[in-house]
Order: sequence, then structure tokens, then C-alpha cells
Amino acid sequence: MNVLYFLIPLALLLLAGAVWAFFWAVGSGQFDDLETPAMRIIMDDDTKPPESPDT
Amino acid sequence: MSAGACFHCALPVDPRDQYHVEIDGELKPVCCPGCKAVAELIRDTGMSNYYTMRDAPQPGVGRPANDAAEWPVYDREDMLAAFAESSDGMAEATIYAGGMYCSACSWLIETTMARTPGIVSADINPVTHRLRVRWHTADVGLGGILATLANLGYDPQPLAPESAARPELLEQRAALKRLLVASLGMMQVMMFAVGLYAGDFQGMKPDMQYFLRWVSLAVTTPVVFYSARPFFTSAWRGIVARAPGMDLPVSIAITAAFAGSIYMTITHGPSTWFDSVVMFVFFLTLGRFLEMRARHRSIDRSAALSNVLPNTVTRCGEDGQTTIPSSQLVAGDIVLVRPGESIAADGVLVDGDTAVDEALLTGEASPRPKSIGDPVLAGSINLDSMIQLRVETTGSDTTLGTISRMSERARYTRPTVVQIADRIASYIVVAILVIAAAVGTFWYITAPDRAFVVTLSVLVVTCPCALALATPAAFAAAGTRLAQLRLLVTNGNAIEALARSTRILFDKTGTVTRGVPVIEAIEVLDDGFDSEQCLRIAAALETVSTHPIASAFRTYEKDVAISDQSVAVGNGVSGTVDNEVWRLGRAEFAGAAAAATGVYLGVDGRLVARFSISDELREDAADTISHLAELGLRAGLISGDGEAAVRHTAGKLGIADYHANCSPEDKLEIIRTAQQNGETVIMVGDGINDAPVLAGADASIAPAHGALLAQISADIVLVGHDLSPVATAIKLSRQTLKIVRQNLAWAIVYNAAALPLAALGYVPPWAAAIGMSASSLIVVLNALRLNRFGAS
Repeated sequence: MNVLYFLIPLALLLLAGAVWAFFWAVGSGQFDDLETPAMRIIMDDDTKPPESPDT
Repeated sequence: MSAGACFHCALPVDPRDQYHVEIDGELKPVCCPGCKAVAELIRDTGMSNYYTMRDAPQPGVGRPANDAAEWPVYDREDMLAAFAESSDGMAEATIYAGGMYCSACSWLIETTMARTPGIVSADINPVTHRLRVRWHTADVGLGGILATLANLGYDPQPLAPESAARPELLEQRAALKRLLVASLGMMQVMMFAVGLYAGDFQGMKPDMQYFLRWVSLAVTTPVVFYSARPFFTSAWRGIVARAPGMDLPVSIAITAAFAGSIYMTITHGPSTWFDSVVMFVFFLTLGRFLEMRARHRSIDRSAALSNVLPNTVTRCGEDGQTTIPSSQLVAGDIVLVRPGESIAADGVLVDGDTAVDEALLTGEASPRPKSIGDPVLAGSINLDSMIQLRVETTGSDTTLGTISRMSERARYTRPTVVQIADRIASYIVVAILVIAAAVGTFWYITAPDRAFVVTLSVLVVTCPCALALATPAAFAAAGTRLAQLRLLVTNGNAIEALARSTRILFDKTGTVTRGVPVIEAIEVLDDGFDSEQCLRIAAALETVSTHPIASAFRTYEKDVAISDQSVAVGNGVSGTVDNEVWRLGRAEFAGAAAAATGVYLGVDGRLVARFSISDELREDAADTISHLAELGLRAGLISGDGEAAVRHTAGKLGIADYHANCSPEDKLEIIRTAQQNGETVIMVGDGINDAPVLAGADASIAPAHGALLAQISADIVLVGHDLSPVATAIKLSRQTLKIVRQNLAWAIVYNAAALPLAALGYVPPWAAAIGMSASSLIVVLNALRLNRFGAS
């Protein structure tokens, strides 16, 4: 069980890293709009719609 | 879409015009060259999918403006400085995309923007209709970007940069960070807690227990000091204001449990409660976050005013005519206003004769004639001819600014149910504290070693969490469901008011009616003509007019040879057909001896026909009103229009209670009187003049196609084209209150059952925390039932 004395602090370090990354993402505005991305998934903007008639 | 409607903007198509656009091999009718150009542009750039993805448009939405605005003006340095932030050859601006109404619009705009050379990024928020765009100033100018949007049929309005840094945004960022810290902290501490509890049963080395407690302390510390900080500040504010809120016992419980756990950790005591602390903070933070999201779902202010006022004005100075941003106008400037443009500032007419449309300010539907020396108001629209005016007041000092301030004040002084709820909550809070203190004292006397644990359990178990979540959870769920039903709730209090409402007042123009004039009846006064001929001549005469009434004649055939057409400001139009002078307009103008209502057609001084022009009712207006009556609501009609028009509309809708010739103050007075008589009043209106009235009502609803200021003042914005969601909203609100009552009953029963057990010492803190969370969860799940409302 002694390995826990090493693994738990390591987990806390990773946790701190994750929190830091999230704070950076929020600060840079990536989470400012929580509504559009949910709708954007249904609008595929990289497929070019057909220019010739078909269904 | 009906056969005669424009493929692009859904306006009726003039059968004489032959505008068509070929999309996916089919020939689609369009109403005007503008729509044809937009539809062809959309097709040629390979984005005709837009038409299959979009919702059906409100007639006229997406129809490009006839007068090509002077977009290149925005390429100038001073305009760039006024509307964008630029550095190192890059510029960033926020543009309000007027006329967008569905997610397909945002797809169209973003895709087109992404294909425009020089644009680095373009993100549009489909809720606020704001486009955030970044571009290389060397490749494209602000004017070019605005022109691109205008070519797609939208009405772009650049917004001043300071309005971009909104306080809600900062609040949301802070709340997200708090929520994340609380949730990650909770997961970690719960994991350690499982280890500790397992250790309690199976045995654990004291060193490991000690270590896990210190680790839990390390993780709990940021959760308490960072995530839970708003509870402490709010509790402190409550103490200072002598009105303790829910946050006071919450803060005491967090502080006590945290401090007690630290003490136990240091002294190797029997147990710690870090898990209870983090769970408690997480659930409360989550509740607050959901509540904040619902609160922020509102339309922002800055876009509203800039949508009503023009961004640029033409100033006549010593150096000739220059186009400047409206924000640079000062009193004394002489400004040139072309027909069709809106007026940027309050002032006095110094040159030209015209009629202005002040409907948004005064509620008066028919245009007001203005001549030299007459005052004109910011926000009104110049209709007939080019005028010059001397600016007197600008910005927030104008009549428009005053109206918007008035509506803010009315909103601020509104008696909210929340205040009452808070007062009740503060009694509950005091009661909890008194009970906890009494229990603590009792145990301290009888069994001092258990006093702390039992008191803590009492505080946690009686946490008004379920009680606090009962209302916001149901309101948030109702808000989501209402949004699916095309009603955007911007003020949660509105739901309660809707459910309790006894009376509903409608504005006339643009609310129960479409706001588009149509010819209702033709009365031929001269035997030599038939109604067909009269209509044809009238339609031909009206082709030169920009007056709103002219649009009633737009869809009729006008194959008449006509010459010498002219507009007589405030009177009507005239023209020559077969060497005879025809006049269309006011009765006296057309040749009558005395004034009369209606639009008259006359030739050489004798009357030929009378047209009754009226505003067409919304298709479902009458149904909605009878539906509301079934729900027990008394409907009323209040309008700034004349008695005859209002009585006519009220009669068609079956409304007995109507008020005509109402100024905004009169409307507010009607609402105040009803409220004093104990009625709960809903106001449905769409004009700027309705803004103070909307704010003064218990609940207010504004259609999304109306004035933006009205939408800001309103608690609920009606997104669709019809009125029927209003009745649904009332049913849903009543269901919401029912759920709230169930939730409150559950929370009270739970607390009443758990409190004695905890006070007797049968509930350890971890069980108290689980009980609290479970009761909160039940409350939330019950509230979520609202999401299925009406989906049978």
C-alpha cells in the first residue's frame, strides 16, 4: 500500500494541471458560448452542398 | 409555403412581376430583384442547403434593403476606430446580424464569412445574434464585411467595442471555474472518503488514515475558499443587511464542518467530514450555476438601441456633407436625413417638408406631417422627402433614451415574489440556527463528546438545499421547455406571475395584428368604374410612395399608363392617366368636401372610390384569445390607435375590454389600477412605446419581430410567428407552480422527518450529506418532468 504515498500526490499534481488547463481555456473565452456548439454539430459546414439538382 | 409567397422572404409575390430563381432544378418565385439576388448568391456559393435547413421565415425577413447603405464608409479609419479594436494589421469587431432568426442563418453567415478572403475567424451566437469577427485589415475592410452580410439579406449593425465585455460573461467564467473546482474536488475527496470508510470497517494503518485525511484537507481547502466563496460573501451581506438568507446556515455548516475536520485531522480525532463539505459545496454551486444560466438567457441592451438608431449620419458642415458615426453628433449639428432613414437625434426641422413614422415612440400608427420648425424625435423614421434638422439632444438625453430609462426604473421597482420568498427563507434560516444551537446545547450538557457531530448533522440535514432548489430547478426546467415551445424566458419570476395571472392585455398593432396594412374593402362611389379598375389605378399611383399604406396596394396589378406622378406630403399621391389627374389619399385631397376616414381615390375633384385599409389579424389571434378565456383569463386590448380601429379589432377578436388613444403613461396607469384591484396582469406588446408598460406588468411578453427595446423590457420573448404559445405558456406555468409546491412539500416532509433523527443523534454527518443530496436529487428529477410537458 506504500505506493499510495507516491500515487496520490501524483494524482493531485495531474489534477492541478487539469484545473490550470481548464482555467486557461475559460480565460481565453472557449467557454463563453455554451449554446452554439450544441447546435453547430447538426450543421456540417465542410460538406459542400450539391450544386446540381438531385434529391 | 403558400403558392404566392416569395421563396426567399415569404412576402406575397406580385403576379405581374416575373422574378424567379432556379434552385435544385426547380423554378421558385421571388418577390423582388433584391430577393432574387440574395437567393442566387446563396445558390451560386453552393449553400442552397440553407433553404432546406431553415425554419419558415416571418414574411419580409431576409428581404434586402432597397437603399444600398454606404458600406464603404465603414472602411474609413475613424469608423474602424469607433466600431472595432485593431492592432498589427488585425481588427476585431462585434456585429449584430439583424434579420437572422434560426440556426441555419448562423450556418449561412459563418460559412460565408469563412470563405471571405482576409477573415480569420467568425463566430455567431444564434441566441444573441452577435457575430464576432476577426480579420486582416490589409485584405478586407469593415465595410466589405458589412456589405457581405447585407448581400445575404441581413441587416448588419456594428456594435461599439465596449459593449463586447459584458459583465454576464465575466460572471459566467467565474461560475464555471468555481463549478469545475468543486466537482473535481468532490470526486477526489469522495474517492479518499471511500478508502477511509472502508478503513473504518476493515481496519487501516493509522499512518494511512492520517495521510488520507491530510490529502482530503488539501483538496477540500480550494473548494471551500474558492468555490464556496460566493456563499460566504452573500451570507455576510445578509448579516449586514439584517436579512439573513439561505447562505447563512450554508456558510455556518461549511465553516463548522471544515474547521471541525481540520481539528480532527490535527488531533487524530475519530472522524472527519471533508466528504460532506465538498458534496455540499458542489451541489449548491451546481444549483447556482443552473440558475445563473437561466438568468443570462436575455437579449443584450447595446444591440437594441443601436438597432433603432442609425450608426452613421450625414452631417452638413462648412466642408460640405460628411458621413460620421452617430456617436460623434453634438447639439447644433445640421444633419441630412434621406427618405427611409431613421433619425439619430432629437432636433428641429430646418429644411424640407416630410412625414415621419413615430410609431415606435408614440404608438401612433399613421405618419405625422412635419415642416420647418417642427421637432423631430430620435428613433422615428423619415418617410417622404429629404430633410435637414438641427440636433438638440443626443444619446440618452433623447426622448428615446428617456423612455428606455423609464422602462428600467419600472422594472427596478417591480414588486417581485422573490423578495417575499427571501423574507420567508430568512425566517427558516433563523429557525434552523436556533434549533441547531438548542440541539448543540442539549448534547453539550448530556454528552459533550458527541455535541459537535450531532450539531453538524442537524445543520447539514436541515440544509435548505432541497428547499432552495425546489423553485429554481422547476423554473429552469420550465424555461428550457418554454424555449422549445419558442418562448424565451428572460426573467424567471415571470413564470410565477403567468401562472397566477387573471388578466392579459394585448397591444394592437404588430401584436394581435401582423402590422402590415391590407385592403379590407373597396367601396366604389362612381358608377362609371368598377372596383377592379379603381384598384389598378390606385396600385399604379402608389408605386412612387414609401408610405406604409402603399404596401397594401403592392400586390395588385398596376398595368396602367401613368405619368406626372408626385407625392403630396401628408396627403397622398397623384398622377395623370388618360389626361386626367387622379389623386389617392386623404378625403379632402382626393376631392371630398370634408375629412373622412379611409383612403380615397378621386379624379378631377370628384370621388371615385373609398378603400378601407386595415391591419390584418394574426391567424391564430382569435383562437388564442378564446383559449385564454377557457383558462380563466380576461383579455383586453390597449392601443395608441384611434377608437374606431381599436373597437373594430376588439370586435373581431371577441374582446369586450378595450382602450384606445392610450399613451404609454395611460397604459401603465391601466395596469397599475388593475394591480391595485388585486389582479395579476400580463402585457403582450411589441413597440418601444410599450417598454415601460411591459416592465410595469406582472409578466410581459414581446414578439421577437418587434422593437428590441420592448424585448429587453419583456420577461418572455415570443420567437415564432403566432400567438398560440402564450396560452401554452400559461398552462406550463401553472404546471410549474404545481411542481414547485410538490417539491416544497417533499423538502419540508424530508426535513421534518430527518431533523428529529439527527437531533437525537441517529444520523452521522455522511448520512446527513447523502440524505440532503438524495432529497435534492428527487426535487430536480421531479422538476425535469416539465421537459416533457405537452409532448403527448
